[in-house]
Amino acid sequence: MKHTSGIKAGIAACAAGAVLGLSAAASADDAIVNNIRDRSIAYAVSGGHWGFYQTADGKAECPDGINDVGPRETFKALFPDDGTKRSVVDTQLAREAAIWSPEERTYDFPYHYAGGKVGLGLNLDGKVGPNDFTTPDGEKGIDNQLFRALGCLRWLRGPDGIGYHFSDIYMREFNYNRGLIELTNVDSLADDPDVDVTIYRGRDDLMADATGAKIMPGGTQRIDYKFGQKFITHLKGKIVAGVLTTEPVKEMYWPFAWFGGNPGAQHILDMRLRLKLTQEQANGFIAGYENIEEWYYGLARGRSTHHLAYGSVSAPGVYKAIHELADAYPDASGKNTAISMAWGTDLTQVFLQKKPQEVAGDVPVASKTERAGDRR
Amino acid sequence: MRNLTVLAALLLASAAPSSAVFAADAAKNAALREDYIRAPMPPGFQVVPTELEGPVYADAQGKTLYIWPFRTMRVGATGDNENMSACETKPTTETAGMMSPYPPGLVLPELDKRLSCAQVWPPVYAADDAKPVGGFTIITRSDGKKQWAFNKRPIYTSILDKMPGDVMGASGRRERGDGPAERDPIGPAPNVPPGFDVITTAKGRLLLTDKKYSVYSYDKDQPDKSNCIDACARTWLPVLAPAAAQAGGEWSVVNRAPGVRQWAFRKKPLYVSTQDTRTWSFEGSDEPGWHNVFTQEAPPLPKGFSTVNNEAGEAVIGPNGRAVYTYTCGDDSKDQLACDHPGAPQAYRIAVCGGGSVEKCNQRFPYLQASADAKSTSRSWTILTIDPKTGHYAEPGQAGAIRVWAYRDRPLFNFYGDKKPTDMYGNTWGEFNGKRNGFRVFFVRDDFFGAAN
Repeated sequence: MKHTSGIKAGIAACAAGAVLGLSAAASADDAIVNNIRDRSIAYAVSGGHWGFYQTADGKAECPDGINDVGPRETFKALFPDDGTKRSVVDTQLAREAAIWSPEERTYDFPYHYAGGKVGLGLNLDGKVGPNDFTTPDGEKGIDNQLFRALGCLRWLRGPDGIGYHFSDIYMREFNYNRGLIELTNVDSLADDPDVDVTIYRGRDDLMADATGAKIMPGGTQRIDYKFGQKFITHLKGKIVAGVLTTEPVKEMYWPFAWFGGNPGAQHILDMRLRLKLTQEQANGFIAGYENIEEWYYGLARGRSTHHLAYGSVSAPGVYKAIHELADAYPDASGKNTAISMAWGTDLTQVFLQKKPQEVAGDVPVASKTERAGDRR
Repeated sequence: MRNLTVLAALLLASAAPSSAVFAADAAKNAALREDYIRAPMPPGFQVVPTELEGPVYADAQGKTLYIWPFRTMRVGATGDNENMSACETKPTTETAGMMSPYPPGLVLPELDKRLSCAQVWPPVYAADDAKPVGGFTIITRSDGKKQWAFNKRPIYTSILDKMPGDVMGASGRRERGDGPAERDPIGPAPNVPPGFDVITTAKGRLLLTDKKYSVYSYDKDQPDKSNCIDACARTWLPVLAPAAAQAGGEWSVVNRAPGVRQWAFRKKPLYVSTQDTRTWSFEGSDEPGWHNVFTQEAPPLPKGFSTVNNEAGEAVIGPNGRAVYTYTCGDDSKDQLACDHPGAPQAYRIAVCGGGSVEKCNQRFPYLQASADAKSTSRSWTILTIDPKTGHYAEPGQAGAIRVWAYRDRPLFNFYGDKKPTDMYGNTWGEFNGKRNGFRVFFVRDDFFGAAN
């Protein structure tokens, strides 16, 4: 079956590169241009989507169909247009209450999970379990239950799902979302056994070509030390065959505004990166686990009922799904509180414009990076 | 007179080190009010200084005047067209369905107490023999009564304004998409030279160029003398005054070099920053010694309040060290009446913060209570007495009533999930991400989405 990835081709290539040991791309780029300066290279976010596997007709990953019951559909079912005079409190506000207090209500409308065996992401626990996916390239043990929960929402399916469509745009246009990844102590983008990786947020617009449509490498970014302290995270990693893989850290915040005016963050536990690197691009996954309560309210606070309605997304249905599929960080009662996930991110090479005190490391940083512990 | 006093102080201090001049000047600046261009007004109208909006037009009793600009909503549009009032005397009873995805025709809450648009926003009637004056004209309402209009928009007062200088009905701050179709206070043009503009922000009335770029002042300058030259002036571009520019009032012209003239406001030479990446910027003030310029500053935060930088901006923190939240609400009637104050129905707030439960709402978004010795410091920051079981104003001496901090007479809140000063887990909570019926952190600076403008 022919498949099209729900994320960028580079992400799929990342998985392929890791499996097949390809390093030609990085070497070829090295021959053309070398953007490594002082053993450092940086990339800025220029796009991103959830790491969801997707075929053209959706039948493989969504055997029960695509979800088509959203706010409008539930409202119509609960309150049919039969001439009954109804109140705002009993209808509109009751539906909003179901979104903002979903734990107190049951959700009885159909909701389809993604199925099949193929998925994208990383093997977070080093195991191959019964609920794990296998990448299109054959890597087993992929932990991505968020895909199982949300992979059949039309909203997030490319290329025309509203959430999918605007994801790239918001990653590019909102400087709030300007995640930066800097590699230091790097000697080669093809192979390097020990590199330092720092995540920041940038402050500047991306550099685009004359059409405005293509983000170009070689732009500059200033680091946001004033408002971006929350996002600064240090990792250790290695580059093998042009693919950067980092060790997991306990937690990381990734700037994530779902929509204009609604600042948020992906709070990823046991987080690690796997990125295919070239002199001009970095593509791959930010993966780990997200607390399901935090993730849900991040969604509800990031996208209004109106916006979710365009993708037939029932927030209470999502709440139910991620609670059923949570697969890590059990609480005292044994109930899992977090769900495995992968965020597919596209980054474009930039030069960091650092002030002398930033180069000297004389900048206050609320360092919080800890190595990941065994929370599973 | 105030301006002359400040001018005299500056002249007396002109021999002192420049930073000392401006440090001494800072306290006085906080008390300064924006000057405005005098324009003809109808008989009985006046201009009243306000804390947040600068000078506004008011009626004979000092009540601020508002207009209701026509505005496109998600579905349809509402507000006043030119020379017509849509604010009627009969109470609306149903939603208009302007805010997707919910349909129209839903019965509004508390109909037995519901006021008409014209009761909430009393039209400013004109005498039968009234004549247009300047930008003030007269329209005829649907009932035949005459009403004053400004720039062709009918004029109203607000029942939320209690005393001269109150602007509790609506703010002139920039409206955000998906909020209610709000009213705007009206006022005279600020007295600034051509090439400048003034906007309302959470920090005060911000001076801009007419292209909306922030202007800055420099601590190392002296009164009417710029010390920013060479490399400095390549980063901080002097705001040049044309050859014909005339000094006057609070404005003066600095001669940087023969034929090179720079505007100064209250004796401070003005600049724009080449590093600003956006309009209405506060970024330049991050450079030591550089400051945004305000025609008047917003009232200071009450004692015990402060601000903190989190990932989205500079947020107000309460005395308890937690983020302060404002609540915004506008109903979906054609009238777009506010439901964000204690005199309005509370069902909207209770639904999104408590799932319909008052107790849960008060636990999730607790009122920001004022300590026993806390006092209101301005008309903007006040203390209200609330019945937490209803969300309405408490009766005098009512058992169980609480004193809560309020901004513009709207109660303030915390969020139960916030544990650190920088947390903001309740931000954008509610319908349309808190713009229509919900909670948002009180930002005084937002470089990303302009929430503080």
